[in-house]
Amino acid sequence: MKQTKQIALCAVMIALALALSWTERFIPLQLAVPLPGIKLGLANIVTLVALCSFKTRYAAMILIPRCIFGAIFGGGITALMFSLCGGLMALAVMAIAWRSPAFSVYGVSILGAAAHNVGQILAAMMLLRSVYIGAYLPFLLLVSVVTGLLTGGITAGVLKILPYASISVPAEMRR
Amino acid sequence: MDSKRLNFQKWDILAIAGVLLCAVLVFLLFLPGRGEPAVYAEIYLEGVLVRTVDLRKNEIFSVQGIYLNVVEVKDGKIAITHSDCPGEDCVHSGWTDTSGRSIVCLPNALEIRVVADHDDVDFVVR
Repeated sequence: MKQTKQIALCAVMIALALALSWTERFIPLQLAVPLPGIKLGLANIVTLVALCSFKTRYAAMILIPRCIFGAIFGGGITALMFSLCGGLMALAVMAIAWRSPAFSVYGVSILGAAAHNVGQILAAMMLLRSVYIGAYLPFLLLVSVVTGLLTGGITAGVLKILPYASISVPAEMRR
Repeated sequence: MDSKRLNFQKWDILAIAGVLLCAVLVFLLFLPGRGEPAVYAEIYLEGVLVRTVDLRKNEIFSVQGIYLNVVEVKDGKIAITHSDCPGEDCVHSGWTDTSGRSIVCLPNALEIRVVADHDDVDFVVR
């Protein structure tokens, strides 16, 4: 019974991340900035909230099923490779950055967004067997500063009001 | 949680500066060969060269991988004008005539590399 709450809480977070990444398909960011794979990264809000509130392994337990379900619901194996490369790279960088008390959620979010792009470009290099795609990286990094600030702001807002919501986090999940 | 961590800190500027510095470094890394007049475009599917196109000749053709990309060459520029891939980021990338630039369709594992001249030939007969 002890694990029931953990599973339920992770499941809710996975569903939320999936809903956010589905929603952002309808935000035509690539029409404004024509770069491959460009997006707001709204699902990263869930990863960041999880990272700040739970132990790192629970953030991974939310991220990995999200990538798998995302691939099943649409995208397929290529999408799985891209979301896992980007997502795990972002999680690793954010987990390290969050350990340093110098950075706020804004800094952590920006570093995560940048790492996500690096991971995806590496995945694209493997897929295309070409390094030329790296020429897009500087522009993706510029955009990641803006999207990282935006998702960082939303994350800060969520974390500020979360203590007022009646969600009890099991003690073993807490950071 | 420390409430300081929910507000923008001065160290966050360092994070931004770090990302921007990386952007500049990677940009400089890919700078050589950029901006010369483009003459050819090489089309790669999963890293294999499948076709070389002369940008001075207008033409429309399709490349079939996992998905179908319709490539158009017009007035020295090249673009993917139609695609049945999800998202169609490749179509939204638009037209390019800048050497060193690529148009990619990631779902199709297709890359159109715009080159100034054939630099991958072994020798030239004059």
